[in-house]
Amino acid sequence: MSEHMDVKIDWDRCMGSGNCVFWAPGTFDLSEDGHAVVTDVGATDEDRLRIAAEGCPVGAISLWRDGREVALNEKEE
Amino acid sequence: MTATDSTRVAAEPFDPFELKDVVSGNIRDPYPRMRELRLQSPVHVGPVDLGDEEPIPLDPSAIPPVTVFGFDEVVQVLRDNETYSSSVYEGVMGTVMGRTILQMDEPEHRMSRALVSQSFRSKVLERWEEQLVAVVVNELIDSFIARGHADLVREVTFNYPAQVIAHILGLPRADYPRFQRWAIELTSLAANWDRGMAASAALRVYFCAVMEERRSVPGDDLISDLVRVEVEGERLEDEEICSFLRLLLPAGVETTYRATGNLLLGLLGDRPQFDALYHDRSLYAQAFEESLRWEPPVTVILRRATRDTELAGVPISAGADVALLLGAANRDERKYVDPDRYDMFREVRQHVGFGFGVHVCLGMHLARMESRVAINTLFDRLGPFTLDPEAEVPHIEGMAFRSPLSLPVVFQAP
Ligand code: HEM
Ligand code: SF4
Repeated sequence: MSEHMDVKIDWDRCMGSGNCVFWAPGTFDLSEDGHAVVTDVGATDEDRLRIAAEGCPVGAISLWRDGREVALNEKEE
Repeated sequence: MTATDSTRVAAEPFDPFELKDVVSGNIRDPYPRMRELRLQSPVHVGPVDLGDEEPIPLDPSAIPPVTVFGFDEVVQVLRDNETYSSSVYEGVMGTVMGRTILQMDEPEHRMSRALVSQSFRSKVLERWEEQLVAVVVNELIDSFIARGHADLVREVTFNYPAQVIAHILGLPRADYPRFQRWAIELTSLAANWDRGMAASAALRVYFCAVMEERRSVPGDDLISDLVRVEVEGERLEDEEICSFLRLLLPAGVETTYRATGNLLLGLLGDRPQFDALYHDRSLYAQAFEESLRWEPPVTVILRRATRDTELAGVPISAGADVALLLGAANRDERKYVDPDRYDMFREVRQHVGFGFGVHVCLGMHLARMESRVAINTLFDRLGPFTLDPEAEVPHIEGMAFRSPLSLPVVFQAP
């Protein structure tokens, strides 16, 4: 599943909270200067990626599939 | 009480629960009322009656205050830090703590936060995990393990965060009792202003002295880090460090103690979930985050509108104080199914228990780690403990700050 997901981080927004690293440590890391970087998209299942993206306090993470942005903020089923 | 008094008293042992009436309100369940108000509108202008004797602290200004009950609306405010300023904290918090990142707006906030945030990254915190947090919690457990029963609030959760911070700051052990007392007095300032201000003054003098010491003899501790840190040629002024260190007490001690208690209460109140976590510790992250959604220890934060605006169709005037009810937002029925239930297996994990936006909790990784180590250590040492059937069933209470006042448990240590 995750092979088809792409993750983008808006570095102008990212304030280095590290929240994405908490939810998906295999996929995100913090660089020396305190910005999130994507290390391995495939290391985290899609649910967790979504949690990480939704939980970004400044909305810096977007998820993409086949060149289209995946909507976040889904409500609980 | 004067500063001299408080220094003297501080050296004596004390029962923290003598202060219980001043560290929290006594409302048991404000959530039905919040729900009622949210269903009327996610945003209210003018005073709201939450059934508390002490209303949420808002400036009695001519401009009517705004209260936000909805999840999306709280997130919208916290993401728009230009329209909603943190300068609202300048008044009370600024007077007590001095100028800190809590009350700063961009771009000053970003620069200042960058300087302190390096010390709060999860990788940097790893060094404290085993040698520090586990040691502190184990010591606390040693004092009651032979007894077979304990009050986990009084004997563990209340004590460990202050000791952890004291360790992280590299303070001498002999100073812990007075440090903890100052911490409590500073946090219960709303109930006793003079005593809180005296504690704040005492802490300032104390921290400044320690800072001087660390400048000449640096150690492996947070204060030494802060006097050394440099980002893009910027350094922290002494006064900034002193203020920041004081902020750590209300921000980092009381919150963590309450959060750990709320998690334990959520687990003890639902045996299948307790057992699930007991047997699979990898569930910790979702168990803890869900407790912060269900019962965030800090239930309200503030902002001030910088211009006329609109939220969920409700007009807000420039200068209005805006109270964001994190607890209400976390139980928004438009986002969560069965929101009043503690359920670590629920679908949606996002919550605003740590705030959101650029001021999102700086200490969240520390809080998560501390609480994880505390819970794991309790599990490992006590085995699957249960609520004491002889004692009164504990409950969470409080208004601006919420947590259980006791957690009586029994156990058969393995
Ligand atoms: C579970 C425990 C904790 C909870 C629920 C919590 C909650 C919060 C919340 C809601 C805010 C946002 C305030 C606002 O935007 O107005 C915040 C900010 C902050 N917290 Fe925490 N906190 C916790 C633990 C800690 C710890 C352990 C520390 C540090 C030792 C800490 C330090 C801070 C600081 C410095 C800020 C200000 C950040 C800024 O303004 O940029 N917190 N916290
Ligand atoms: S959660 Fe968002 S702000 Fe925090 S480090 Fe990740 S991308 Fe940056």
